Amino acid sequence: MAAAALCWALRAVRQVLPSPCPRQVRSYYVDWRMLRDVKRRRMAYEYADERLRINALRKNAILPKELQEVADKEIAALPRDSCPVRIRNRCVLTSRPRGVKRRWRLSRIVFRHFADHAQMSGVQRAMW
Amino acid sequence: TSSVLSKDKDKSAASKDSTPEGAAKRQEDGAEKRKQQLLDIIGNMKVEVSYRKKLQQLKASENKKQAMNKLEGPDSEGSMPHGITEDTQRGKPLNPELVKAASAVASSLPSNKKQTESELLAQLRRHEETTDKQKKGGIINIRNVISEMTIKRQSPAQRAARISGRISLQLDEDGQRIRRERSSAQSVDSRSLKVGKRLNIFTKASTEPEHALKTVSSPTIWDLEFAKEVAAVTAQPPRNGFEEMIQWTKEGILWEFPIDNEVGMEDDAEFHEHVFLEKHLEGFPKEGPIRHFMELVICGLSKNPYLSVKQKVEHIEWFQKYFEEKKELLQEI
Repeated sequence: MAAAALCWALRAVRQVLPSPCPRQVRSYYVDWRMLRDVKRRRMAYEYADERLRINALRKNAILPKELQEVADKEIAALPRDSCPVRIRNRCVLTSRPRGVKRRWRLSRIVFRHFADHAQMSGVQRAMW
Repeated sequence: TSSVLSKDKDKSAASKDSTPEGAAKRQEDGAEKRKQQLLDIIGNMKVEVSYRKKLQQLKASENKKQAMNKLEGPDSEGSMPHGITEDTQRGKPLNPELVKAASAVASSLPSNKKQTESELLAQLRRHEETTDKQKKGGIINIRNVISEMTIKRQSPAQRAARISGRISLQLDEDGQRIRRERSSAQSVDSRSLKVGKRLNIFTKASTEPEHALKTVSSPTIWDLEFAKEVAAVTAQPPRNGFEEMIQWTKEGILWEFPIDNEVGMEDDAEFHEHVFLEKHLEGFPKEGPIRHFMELVICGLSKNPYLSVKQKVEHIEWFQKYFEEKKELLQEI
């Protein structure tokens, strides 16, 4: 298990660009919770089609109920991280789980920081 | 030459007139006059005239003088043929005119006549030998070598590559610097080594096995890696916003303008393949709830613009497989 976690961590580390261009490159995730969130997202992407089809069988008025019960059992047997409900929209820079604006994927504090330094395009302090 | 001739005539006239007087006195006068004559000639002559020509002229004047003096005294005549015979005996036959000219010059000079004559002749012989050697040789003519050499002009790309090669601090796995052998070889090849006269300095080495090896596998892994290295080293940081945007577009961060909505979507299927999907329902039973269910599925898929035909077909096939697995269950019901 520890080895698998390490593997995941290594895979998470992105390679630094070989060119000498001065650009910020993210080479690590902010914390382990963010890493787990990333794992869940990937799993959810893998099982998305299957989940959709099995749910279509379940949420049905036409098919017999026995079939639907079988489908229920099947979907419960899938890995837990494959369900999209477990994904949490964390802040991309600080991994804050709460106070995250969806449009910018940033927490409210980081958003305010960048907006005040005029690094957010088209964002202005409200005054009316 | 006309002035010389006129002077000769005068001298001969003068000598003729003074013949009854002492012979030595006459000779001394003659020597002095000859010296003066030499100096005058050298002074009057243009710079273009070579030394040989001067000697020849001197020789001509001397011959005439001697011809005039023959009638009077045979002393000077005696020395001439002796000198000639001696020279011919030595080895290569020198030009007789040159020999005569040398003897004339020697006679004109005040020092020991025979010694100067021999020295002059020796110099002449050496000169002849060197010229013969040069004529026979000619294998490595330095003029041929220099004619091919031109001022080397670096293109700005090559200069940039050279500078970046010097600055680069990347290390190989062994810890060695990057080798720029191939880039230097390429820069020399661009000037076409094989054009021009052959100098025949080096022996031709056998190049056949190299050609055979090269044609076997053209893009090796090392070639690709080297190409990547070169691209990484030569990639300078962007000088302005435009170059930055170009770089981003190449990497795929920035879209290409004007925006094409169908980038990455290569759906060659016609609309009827999207909408009319009933032909895929052949594997299902014709009546029953399953058919009802599948017709609903097909209705939903036909209205879906986001999936490709392939994805829709896969969707239907998945359902078919699922229902085939559950056939026993269905038959119980």
